[in-house]
Amino acid sequence: MSRSSYPLLLPAVALLFGTGLLAQNPAAASAPDLSDPEVAHVAVTANSIDIDLAKFAQTRTHNAAVKQFAATMITDHSAVNAQAAALATKLGVTPADNAVSQSLQTGAKQARASLEPLRGAAFDRAYIDREVAYHQAVLDAIDKVLIPTTENAELRKLLTDVRPAVATHLEHAKQLRTQLGGTARTSK
Amino acid sequence: MILWLLLLLGLSKAPTRHTVEIRGMEFHPADLTVAVGDTVVWINRDIVPHTATGSGRTKWDTGQLLQGQAGRYVASSRGTKRYACTFHPTMHGTLIVR
Repeated sequence: MSRSSYPLLLPAVALLFGTGLLAQNPAAASAPDLSDPEVAHVAVTANSIDIDLAKFAQTRTHNAAVKQFAATMITDHSAVNAQAAALATKLGVTPADNAVSQSLQTGAKQARASLEPLRGAAFDRAYIDREVAYHQAVLDAIDKVLIPTTENAELRKLLTDVRPAVATHLEHAKQLRTQLGGTARTSK
Repeated sequence: MILWLLLLLGLSKAPTRHTVEIRGMEFHPADLTVAVGDTVVWINRDIVPHTATGSGRTKWDTGQLLQGQAGRYVASSRGTKRYACTFHPTMHGTLIVR
């Protein structure tokens, strides 16, 4: 992918990074140029964030469908991370921390803080709102940043293989959100 | 009588084994027509675990299938049987048993 197409990716990247990276560094008016070890780190971080939030949700929700959704998030993202770790070992790649991963971590802390005071149906709706927005952002990032910038064919294949699972999680979360009713909040 | 029975057995179709691949978070094929007595095998090619679980009147469950694992169901009665993945309710399939 040529660098010239990066400006088209800005909305997705801005969504992924919330008000973080690009807003803090407007001079960097392009999507991040990630090395393969950095892409691997972003992928593992993105999975780990969703696992951690799902574990928190399981301690908080009393809704069976939300519990099942959270269990699926833990199982699936753990399976993906196991494959990512195996591939990194095979390729001799050490995932490298980077600004994108750090921005994701910051967003995750904010999400957790906003969910912390909520209980019952309000928690369920807010958690699933977050999951809809998060999976949409990750999907956009996979399509528009991670796959196009990855040079190693096996790492790119892993991202390509993971994409349908993220898309399915997004649809699952949207369906669940409709079932939960109430007003969807605009979440980051 | 014995000859008649042997002829009947010879003419009757042997049960067939059908394979449904689970890949890309979909059942392939999603709709499958089989005969009573046939065996349907689901094999999971995805990274994430799946199930093939009867969601209508006919109950069956392959249980959790990790990547590379397979589960089976023997079609014991006629009808249209819908199934889904327990972990991913947006994944659906249909067995038509004739």
